[in-house]
Parts: sequence; structure tokens; C-alpha cells
Amino acid sequence: MSEPRRYRVLHTTGYRYSAPVALSRQLLHLTPREFDVQRVLEHQLSIDPQPDETTTSRDYFGNSITHMVLSAAHQSLSLAARSIVEVMPRNSAAQVAGSPPWEESAAMLRGVAGGANLEPARFMFDSPHVESSAELLRYAEPSFTPRRPLLDAVLDLNHRIHEDFEFDPIATVISTPLAEVLEQRRGVCQDFAHLMIGCLRTLGLSARYVSGYLLTMPPPGHARLIGADASHAWISVYSQNAGWIDFDPTNDRLVDNEHITLGWGRDFSDVTPTRGVILGGGEQELAVHVTVSSTDEAEAVAPIAATQSQSQSQSQSQTSATAENSGQIAS
Amino acid sequence: MPEPLLADYPEAAGRYDEMLGADGAPRMHWRALYDYLANATPAAMRARLQSVARQVRDNGVTYNVYADPLGADRPWDLDVLPLILGHDEWVGIEAAVAQRATLLNRVLSDIYSGEEMLSEGLLPPELVHGHAGFLRPCHGISPPDGVHLHVYAADLARSGDGQWWVLADRTQAPSGAGYALENRLVISRAFPSLFRDLKVRHLARFFATLRDSLAYWAPRDVEAPRIVLLTPGPYNETYYEHALLARYLGFPLVEGNDLTVRDGQVWLKTLSGLSRVHVILRRLDDDYCDPLELRSDSALGIPGITEAARRGTVLIANSLGSNLLESGALLGFLPKLCERLLGEPLKMPSIGTWWCGEEAALEEVIEHLDDLVIKPAYPQLRIGTVFGGDLKGEARAAFIEKLRAQPRHYVAQERVRISQAPVWDRSREYGLSAGAIGLRVYACATPNGYMVMPGGLARVASGRDERTMSNQRGGASKDTWVLSPAPVSNFSLLRRTIGPHDLVRSNVHLSSRVAENLFWLGRYMERCDNTARLMRVTLGRLIDGAFDTPGRESACLMAICQFAGVLDHDSPAERDAVEARILESLSKDVGLGANLHQLLRIAMQLRERLSLDNWRTLNHMLADQAEWERKPPSLADALTALDRTTANLMTLAGFALDGMTRDQGWRFLSMGRRLERMQFLCMSLQQAFALPRDAELDWLLELADSIVTYRARYMARPEWLPLLDLLLLDTGNPRSVAFQLFGLNDYLLRLEEIYGPCGAEVLQAPLQAIQELEIDRDLRPDSERLLSLLRNLQSASYSLSEHLGQRFFNLAGEANRQTFAT
Repeated sequence: MSEPRRYRVLHTTGYRYSAPVALSRQLLHLTPREFDVQRVLEHQLSIDPQPDETTTSRDYFGNSITHMVLSAAHQSLSLAARSIVEVMPRNSAAQVAGSPPWEESAAMLRGVAGGANLEPARFMFDSPHVESSAELLRYAEPSFTPRRPLLDAVLDLNHRIHEDFEFDPIATVISTPLAEVLEQRRGVCQDFAHLMIGCLRTLGLSARYVSGYLLTMPPPGHARLIGADASHAWISVYSQNAGWIDFDPTNDRLVDNEHITLGWGRDFSDVTPTRGVILGGGEQELAVHVTVSSTDEAEAVAPIAATQSQSQSQSQSQTSATAENSGQIAS
Repeated sequence: MPEPLLADYPEAAGRYDEMLGADGAPRMHWRALYDYLANATPAAMRARLQSVARQVRDNGVTYNVYADPLGADRPWDLDVLPLILGHDEWVGIEAAVAQRATLLNRVLSDIYSGEEMLSEGLLPPELVHGHAGFLRPCHGISPPDGVHLHVYAADLARSGDGQWWVLADRTQAPSGAGYALENRLVISRAFPSLFRDLKVRHLARFFATLRDSLAYWAPRDVEAPRIVLLTPGPYNETYYEHALLARYLGFPLVEGNDLTVRDGQVWLKTLSGLSRVHVILRRLDDDYCDPLELRSDSALGIPGITEAARRGTVLIANSLGSNLLESGALLGFLPKLCERLLGEPLKMPSIGTWWCGEEAALEEVIEHLDDLVIKPAYPQLRIGTVFGGDLKGEARAAFIEKLRAQPRHYVAQERVRISQAPVWDRSREYGLSAGAIGLRVYACATPNGYMVMPGGLARVASGRDERTMSNQRGGASKDTWVLSPAPVSNFSLLRRTIGPHDLVRSNVHLSSRVAENLFWLGRYMERCDNTARLMRVTLGRLIDGAFDTPGRESACLMAICQFAGVLDHDSPAERDAVEARILESLSKDVGLGANLHQLLRIAMQLRERLSLDNWRTLNHMLADQAEWERKPPSLADALTALDRTTANLMTLAGFALDGMTRDQGWRFLSMGRRLERMQFLCMSLQQAFALPRDAELDWLLELADSIVTYRARYMARPEWLPLLDLLLLDTGNPRSVAFQLFGLNDYLLRLEEIYGPCGAEVLQAPLQAIQELEIDRDLRPDSERLLSLLRNLQSASYSLSEHLGQRFFNLAGEANRQTFAT
């Protein structure tokens, strides 16, 4: 996997409401981010019914964010984000061995006196879903033995989370606290990412949450990755030599060119793909489908619009009768 | 030295005494007050204290401790003696507070735009990125002229050497300026001549300047800017103050749900539709302001308001995210920031404060723990204040371990022996005592820099231990008099000259929520009145024995009691049970008690719209209820209690009739009353129709408050024909069905002129039917026409109430909710 790869992504979100929604406002993080290892070749966001207005801008972290307002009464809302993205190989494995002891990184970050270190300083402290704790420190410590190279220690933590925790889509919701995830030893990719970020921040390191996708159907001969049929999440850790290096604890691997990045923030709350406030609506039903196909065999792939029916996309749907926050994490 | 005054006055013992100099003699600026007190008789002082207490009670000045509008409203504790500050001293405080406001505004502006202070290392990144009050979505929003802090407050205290120190900064939505205003109103009346002779500087200009400055920075539009005061609602501990300020500044008091964002602009939901809002003076915490972009679990905010601020279509004061500067950890960095940003030294020092996030500071703090107060570094951390000296043995070791585990979450402050000021000792006949004092001083942004309010909210500890000096912990407050060397202007906000172009005849921008509350206030005033009368009639029959005579009237009365909720539907109808139940509904939250509770709750929602006279009556009712709860009335007392309640309700009704402007709001209140009265009357009459022809009817007339009229007209035992004429058809009787019906129709037609169809059509059939009644054929209890008219009226009143709800109140009604998808 050492060449750039191209992916076609279709991310659909459908809400159905039992009563009319009089006003809906949504903040969408559905546009893949461009950065050194990723280019967005095509992107299109379709919204039905047609909103009164949509504004696209950059959020605090530099991600693309779309703000939409729909004030005509409606009983369904569907969002479809179609993208073609090129992902460069990262060859992060080469960085792991040569990285300096983790204590040095922590000390460097602790002594931040401005300038170049402002960027990692944004991701060092508690955030809405990640609160540092003694329990997290205790869990992290076995991987962070004295003088161990930073990225080697992170890789070990990444592996241990994969070994110790069971992927279980029904064990948690987005509001499940980290302490509970740690105790139950089960959860989904968001939980594992939050957990790992919490461990790293508790040690005084800087870690961010990355939201994105994986290939739905693997190339022949490869195993299907967990979290491939929904939006995915992993982490990125800051190393003063190598910059940001991404790890995927759900799949026990370094991120290379199989992960498509939507955006990053301190945790899920900064880059929630779809976050909104509605007036009315009664009971709601939500269906999210993600389909990612490789376009390297582009000729064999049907046009974007038809992708959904051809691929084995799975969906999660749920209903909610309460006025409480409702949201099920897809992976 | 006059002995009695200072007999029990404590020695300053190393503290600064605000009143007495080192020689024990009163300082110059206190002399007038001191002499006044020395010459006052105990009786005169008692009268002053009583007058202060009465004004506080009657004005309903409260501080909700447990945020229950009925349970824990605590009367505002106000000491009769002001804190007095001389002119020269004040000049120093004023300059220091204005400088600090300027500095903090610059820091805020830097953090939310360029982050230069972070890059230059003048501010540790943790103090920004680790503070839950740093609102990332607000980064890049630049308010007009870079003004983020429109209102700022500094908590000051004075050490033994007379130096003032800043203990804390309030940058989000400083509370207390309204209480300071209220204190001034009360205390200046307690010492009117002294107040005048001392040339105490007035507060009104500060508030006028705040108002004018907000208007100045309002988004430029053709219209005059609309400014609203945003409150979290009546459950907030300082809601009284929000209502007071709204009334004083002339801003509508709104809750999040009264506002909506459309087309990137903010609008107030009014009866006539949406009306543009240009400025929001907020008392709602900033992360709660927007459930879309900020705190997603906020039910109090306005979705989309951040985007409106970003587009500059609304001015939010203070700007969203200003809570960031409420951090003790920041204090140590201010001197350098001041040099860098303002090019001058910080005028007033902050109290010694160490942020444990700095390694060297942490070790120092642990070493000197006994002398320090440990506090959370950010207000959002759920950490209580700890006095290091209180920690012993294991607790101490455990605490140090906590400090070491999360040093960044803590700041340590030195303990200052803060100054003491005289308070009137209420436990004695005559004499002074003293308490430790702190002073909150306010500044507001103006186009010419910050203006400091000449005065402030002084808070006094119950003893000399400054720990108890907070409103939540039970400290008292004082008015603060700043003396002026020159004559003071008599300018007052309330006496502003109003020109012909300012004339407003009716409030067409009445918010939907206020209209709905007025409607229900009317209904509950009437419902309470009906219930109280019903109980009085029933009790009367219990007492004079009429209840026991096997009669059909009592059974009928019981049925009415059941319909009105005085009795449960399955209540036994025996004498003892009925009696017990009626007494119970005076002392408990059932029947009349429940209705009164509801009435007071609705009134609380309308606080700023009801006059002080209304509040006095409501407060008397509240006091009565509390008394009955404590000591349930006996059968004999109950009649008196009901008489009082009825009289109080009549007083409220009188204010509504005589004291309120006939605007849309009044119409909603009146419609509520008439609808409720009509329903009750129709129900009672239908029940009474079941009685035999020769039944006794006095009680029915009493129930309808028409017995006096009847007797004056007929001087005979009540009979059905004249009774029905009086209670049904007589349009001159304010208790008759016809009076309610014609009145309702009239109000609806008037509303229609402004708002279009309002539901008057449901009344048209009953209106016709009542006019077609023939006296000799239909004014009898067995008339089918009459019975069906009453039934139709009842159902018409239900559907009218529903219609009004849908037509006018649904803008206020529905709640926003959050959704997520991945």
C-alpha cells in the first residue's frame, strides 16, 4: 500500500418524523478535509427538501462546516454527501522506531511557551467527552514505561485497547461516560478513540479525534475492517519530530491510506457529522448509510448515484420518542 | 466617644476599620453618619429598621437560594447602614476598575481573534484551551469596536494597611447591579436628609449610559434598536434582579424561548408575529445561549444565535465566550499583560494567587497550605473552596494528593484580613457591631471608554469571618455611598423627559409567552375566587348546621365542589370528611391551596409586568399560605382565612380593573377571567337545576356574589325567575353569564382588528341563543333551551381557550430539541 488511492464515498443521513418539523437547523461535518495526505477531487452535498440557506465555512479547527436552515414544514430530511477522495500513503511505521522518549514529548508540551506549539496545545486538555482521570492514567501506564519511544508506546496502547475492549454497537451511546466504557470494556470506535485520547492527555500528551471512513468492501483477500459500514473514528497523536501520527485502536493499526479523513477536533462533539436542533417532529427515525468503494478499479464502478443499491451497505436505524438527545453512533 | 453606640463594637485588631481611624475617632467622611447615629434614639432607629425590612418585604426583593420560586425565596438581607467611601479614595478605585475592564476586554479580544498573547507566551495556553469557558465556535467573531465586555464587575476587598485588592473578576454576566440599585432606593429613603446633605453620587446615570451605549453599538438599521434582557427564567437565583433591571431600563424581559433566529437575525415572538431584536443584554451563561453550536443540552438557549452574532445582526452583551476570563489562574498574569497591552502598570493589584498548574507554584502552595484558600481554577470545575488551615491529618494528605494529580485545576489564594465596616446590631436595642466587607464595583463600556458605577454592592459577612460573605452563604448586603465634592445631579432614569414622538399607546409587541401568562393569571385569579367562595358557602352551612338537615342543597353543593376540585370525585360526603378536606385545602397543595400556588407561580413569571402594589398583595397571600401551612387553621379560623383570601383576590382584581392599561395584555387577562367565570357559573347553574322547585337558593347567589343585589332588588326569598334573570341575562351584573359572554365577544373583536380572526365565531351561536331566550318560557330550571344554552356555552369556552392557545401562544409553546447523526 504505498501508492495514492482513490475512494468514492457516499454518506447518507435520513430523518423521518411522525409530526411536521417547523424549523430545522443543522451543522454538518460531511465534507472531507484537504491536507497533506488527502485531496478531495469531487464533493457534492445534496439536501432534500431544499433548505432556505446553506453556508459553508471553516470551523475553529479548520474543518469544512456547513450550516443549514430549513423553515418549511417537513416530515423527512435527507442529506447525501458524495465525494471522491485521494489518499496518499503515510508510511508512519518508519516514524515509530525513531521517535524520542515519551517523557520528552510531555515535557516539551508542558513547557509550551507559545509559537510553534500552539497547535498541539489545542488538544491537550479536557473536552466535553474526554475528561482525564486517575483510572485512565492507570490504564495507560503499562504502555508508557520509562524512556519508551513515544510512538512505540502509543502503538502498544493502541494494541492493548484493541485486545482489552470488545466492539459492541449496542453497549454505549454517545453520552456514555468514559469511566463506564473503561469499566464495561466494550463500546464502538468513538468510545475507543475517546478512551485512547483520554489516556494520552492524562499523560500530558496532545491527542486529537479524527472522524472519517473506511473502505466498505475490502480488496480480494483482505479482511473487512470493523466500522466500515458507517462513519468511523480514530486518533492522532502529536510527536515533535514527526508531527501528527494517526492510530486506529478499533482495528489495531497505524493509519495509512485506507482511512478517509472527514475532519478532526478535540473529540466527537467538535466534528459530529450531523448535529441539529429541530422544532416539532414528534417521534423520529434515523437511518445512516455509508458506502465507500475504491475507484482504482474505477471503470468497474457504477456512477455515484447508483452505488448505494449495488453495494452491501448496512444501516442502523433507531427511533426516539423522547425530547432527549437522540443519536446512535454508527460504529 | 458616646459609649452606647460603640459599647460592643469590635476592635479592628490588625484589620482596617472603614469607619474608625487608628485613633478610634470616626474618619472624616463617616462623621455625619456617625453623629447622626450617636444622636438617634433607639425608637427612631427601630423605626428605620422596620421601614427597611418592610420595603424589602413589600417590594418582594428576594434571592432564590435553591431556585424554587415558592419554597426558598429568601428575603434580601440589607443592613440599614451604608458603606461610605470618600471622593479621593473613590477616584483611585474608579481608575483602577476602568483600567482593568479595558485590559480584560483587550485580552478577550486577543484570545478570540489573533491569539498574540498566547504566541508571545504572556498567557499559558492551558488558561485558554483548558478552560471550559473557551467557546471555539465564537473564535473569529469580532463585535463592533472590539467591545466584548459591556458590563464588568470586580470584587474588591481592603487589607489592613488600607490598600484595595481585586479578589475576582466577573466578565460573563455580572450580577448584583440591580440589587445595588434596590439597596439605594431603600436606604436613601431611610436617611433622606443625610443622603442629600452628604452629596451622595447617584446611580441612574450609569444605567442610562449602559442603555445608550448598547443602543450605540446596536447593528445599524433604519429602526430604533430593540434591546431585550435575556434571563434563564424565574428559577434563577437572581431572577428578581433581572425583572428589576428590565423594568428600570425599559427592556422587555425575555427567556430563550421568546426569541428565534430567522434569516440570520434574531426576532422576538410577539402576538403580532416576529419582531426584530438588535441587542441582547444577557444574564444567561454563555454556553447555554445556543443549543446548536454551544452547549447541546441547553434547553434555555436560542438555536442559531451564535451564527447571528457571527453575521453581526445582533449585539450580545457580554459577547459569547466572555466567561473565559473568570478564572483565578489568570490573575497572576495580568501585570505583564497590562504592560504589554496598555503600556502601563496595573493600577490595583490582585490578591496573591498562584495557579498550581505551574510546577514551582504547586510546591510553594503545598508548603504554605495552612495560610491559603484553594479554589477551582475555572468556574466550570465542580470543586468547592477549601481553607488549607482546616485540613488535618489524613484529609490533608488526601487533598495534597488531589492537588498533585490535577494541579492545573486549582488556584491558591492568600487569605487577607479584610476590612470591617459597622453594621447595625439587630440583636440589641441600640448599638453598632462590625462585619468583614467586600465590595463589587461595576463598569460599563461606552464609546469613550469604561464608565464605573459610583457605588456598588457591598457585602458583609455575618460575623468577622469573611468566609460567610456571599449571597449564597447567607451574608447581608449594604448600600454603598460615594461622596461627591460637588453638587450631584438629580438625573434619574425614571424622570427622563418624554417628547410627543416617544408616545406609545399600546404594546403591540407583547410577547406570546407574556400574553399566555396573563391569560392564565386571569383564569387562576378567577378560579381561586370561585374556589374560595365555594368553600366559604360550604363551611357556612357546616357551621350553622344547614349541612346536616337532610336536604338536596347540600348534595348539589357537594357535586359543585367535586367539579371545582374542592372535593375529589370519590370523596365521602359526610360532614367530618368534607370539613377535613376543606381545612386541608387551606394548608396543603390541594383544592384552593393548589390553585393559589399556581396563581403565584404564574405571577412570578410575570414579575416585571406587575406593579409593586400587585406584589404587595401577592406577597401577603404568600405569607398567609406559609402561615397556614405551619399552623393549619381550625374550623373557626377557616372562615376568616377565606374572607382574607377573597379580599386579597378582590384587591388584585381591582388593580387589574383600575390600575392596568387597557392594552392587549390586559385584554388577555380579562378574557381569562371571563372565560373562567362563565365556565364556573354555567356548571353551577346546571347542577342547581337538578334541585326541586322549592329548594333554597341563597347559597347559589352567594356563590355568584350576587346575594346583595338580589336582596336589594327583591327583598324576598330567592326564586328561580328573578335569580336566573340576575345571573344569566342581566348585562349590568358583572357576575352574569351575559356579561361574560358579551365582554368576551367584544375583546375578541378588538383583537381581530389587529391580528385577524381570533375565534369569536365559536361564541356566535350562544350569543344568538341567549338573545332569543324568552323570559316566561325559558327562565326556569326545566327549560330545555336554557339547559342546552348552558351546555353549549361550556363547550364553546373550552374550544375558545384552545383556539386562543393555538392562535397566539403556540409560538411560545414548543420546545427545541437536539438531534445527532454520525
